[in-house]
Amino acid sequence: MRQSLFAIFACLVGCLLGCAKPEEKKGVDTPEKQTGPKQTIGVSLLTLDNPFFKVIGDNITAEGLKHGYDTIVVSGDKDVAKQSNQIKDFIVKKVSAIVLSPCDSKSIIPVIQEANAAGIPVFTVDIPCNEPGVKIATQIATDNYGGGKEAGQAMIEALGEAGGKVAVLHFKQAESCLLRVKGFTEVIDAHNASSTAKIEVVAELESSGAKDMGYKAAEDSLQAHPDLRGIFAINDPAALGARAALEKANKTQQVQIIGFDGQPEGKQAIKEGKIYADPIQFPDKMGIQIVDAIIRHSKGEELPAQMLIPTSLYRKADAEADPELK
Amino acid sequence: MFLVLVLLCAFFSVATFSEQSPTGEAAAKQLASVIEQQFGSTPRVLIVAREQPGDSEFASSLEQKLVTSGAKVHAVVKGEPRDAREALVKISSSGEQLDVIACTPAAAAWLVFSDLKNDFPMLDNPQIVKPQSYRWPNFLKAANVLNIANQIAVIAIIAIGMTMVIITGGIDLSVGSLIALSAVLAGLFIRDYAGATNASAIGMTSACVAAILICGLIGAFSGAMITLFRIPPFIVTLAMMLVGSGLAYLLAKGESIYQIPDSFVWLGRGASFVNLPNAVVLMLVLYGAAQVLMSRMKLGRYIYAVGGNREAARLSGVPVRSVLMFAYIASALLAGLGGVIMASQLKSGSATYGNMYELYVIAAVVVGGTSLSGGEGEMCGTLIGALTIAVIQNGMNLTNVESYTQKVVLGLVILGAVLLDKIRHGE
Repeated sequence: MRQSLFAIFACLVGCLLGCAKPEEKKGVDTPEKQTGPKQTIGVSLLTLDNPFFKVIGDNITAEGLKHGYDTIVVSGDKDVAKQSNQIKDFIVKKVSAIVLSPCDSKSIIPVIQEANAAGIPVFTVDIPCNEPGVKIATQIATDNYGGGKEAGQAMIEALGEAGGKVAVLHFKQAESCLLRVKGFTEVIDAHNASSTAKIEVVAELESSGAKDMGYKAAEDSLQAHPDLRGIFAINDPAALGARAALEKANKTQQVQIIGFDGQPEGKQAIKEGKIYADPIQFPDKMGIQIVDAIIRHSKGEELPAQMLIPTSLYRKADAEADPELK
Repeated sequence: MFLVLVLLCAFFSVATFSEQSPTGEAAAKQLASVIEQQFGSTPRVLIVAREQPGDSEFASSLEQKLVTSGAKVHAVVKGEPRDAREALVKISSSGEQLDVIACTPAAAAWLVFSDLKNDFPMLDNPQIVKPQSYRWPNFLKAANVLNIANQIAVIAIIAIGMTMVIITGGIDLSVGSLIALSAVLAGLFIRDYAGATNASAIGMTSACVAAILICGLIGAFSGAMITLFRIPPFIVTLAMMLVGSGLAYLLAKGESIYQIPDSFVWLGRGASFVNLPNAVVLMLVLYGAAQVLMSRMKLGRYIYAVGGNREAARLSGVPVRSVLMFAYIASALLAGLGGVIMASQLKSGSATYGNMYELYVIAAVVVGGTSLSGGEGEMCGTLIGALTIAVIQNGMNLTNVESYTQKVVLGLVILGAVLLDKIRHGE
């Protein structure tokens, strides 16, 4: 009995560990690379819970495969100690490039320095690490400043001739959101200088980029400004939280929402008219661009310090034509 | 339990058996003789390597050997693909030609060399040569073995205290939060009182000791609640887990504290004793001490006695309350030490550290054969348990298992390991 249980256990462990994919099995060898060990890209993203990062990871894997790279995608789970260990494992494995979105731009420095010392190029995606003493091949991110400008345009378009009071649901800890709001206010200011239909930003409230906080912040600003006409939320969850507050206050006709991101839930809300428009990000393009940057780096080309991917404004008409939405 | 660890190591050795790229002196010697055989004694050579200790040694040593044997070395590139391209452009534009480009294995894979015929037609189609590779498991490389030990040091050190607490029949859920609290406190003290990035060794040491002692105080508080008011340890330490984490976030204001001198990484990343990382040495010393305490000293016997049967222990004159207090204080102090090590490894303190670590620590203790009902357990077992978890995590990273699958596998292997142990002991 004991032996048989042991055997079952051994099989179980064997099967489970069989999930491990030996690298030889994956990918197609291009002729010039058959001579050496397989080229691998190690990717550690902030979290894979967020579809945004999942899409980045999937696209790096797919695009890498086309060019003969194996890709390992792991989730840092917003835990910088865990992410550091993942990077250290990549270094031991001698991957040919490391892609990461740092869980903490400061605490990740030592391990990036280790990768630098091992001669492995490091690419950052979405979240930068602009710290002294680390060498980053290039940073790939959404053009948040440009996206903020688009959001400003959308707000002007949504409010039309009347103009009116606008609230911003902010997330000030995030560099990217600061840029979004900066672009937004610049466009609004420029508009006010030339037009009679003034748009006044009356409140900038913290939303943490989350639904519950966005809901509270929108509720509070409706109390303070009953004649509010527009809300710019720095991401989709905050925008959807604000929408819930509008529904509760029965002000969905009076107040227009501009979001940001273009996550599936946000796109669906645009289709249903709950959000007026979103400047959307393109995580798929980011993934493809990263692989392109890795190849260009390996070819010895000069890379810019930062590669920005522009956003594009997504309105109801785009949502109705979007095949991904039911 | 040791058997499971050995099995896992064997499995991952086989699974990570792959081609290794040699660099350094030996590779240079081998490649020099290959070049001489294939291209005669006066080839025109470009040497390319990455800017990295092993590669760099390879390049210098190869250059020296080739020059002595009469070859013409046009340039030695130590850097990135871009530097290689620059060198190729320079050689090509000066009208020179190349017979051979000698690369380290990593550099040979650079795409800059993928289409030399079309990109640099003037070079006379040089051949790319690199040192012969050999096969060896990634898992068993010395660097990786140290890597594993270093990665688990924090969990293993905290598991010492947890083993004691669990042997007394209790549990300590607050250790993960204490890691964060201690890392933040150490960072704060260094930043605000020891002179930030100019802090002296004494300043940093006192900051760390203070942080650890404050964690010890929290442990003493938990111990007091448990012994004086008889509140179950699960509830007391659950409360302290929330308190500790909240305090860490409050003190750090949600940011990471990074104004810390470079020398602070000595504890977490230095290796001053025969190439062993300092954190690993510290871990081994603490395990030695804990083993002696538990098996040779009166206090150790008392800890087992309290966990085995508290009433019997009390009646036979064991100071039950003091023993319990000792266990919780030790656990908190060690968690504080773990936090300091983590702060040192990452050269910053942040309230996000140590999230869920209590569960990994408890898993290490349980996989190591300690009974959750108290009275039973060994320090060596806990060390093996911690290593088992580290080996599984590291092995899965090396064999490209993606994150979600890793969690499932880790959970099942922990369960399987304990099951196997039960079966072998005939229960």
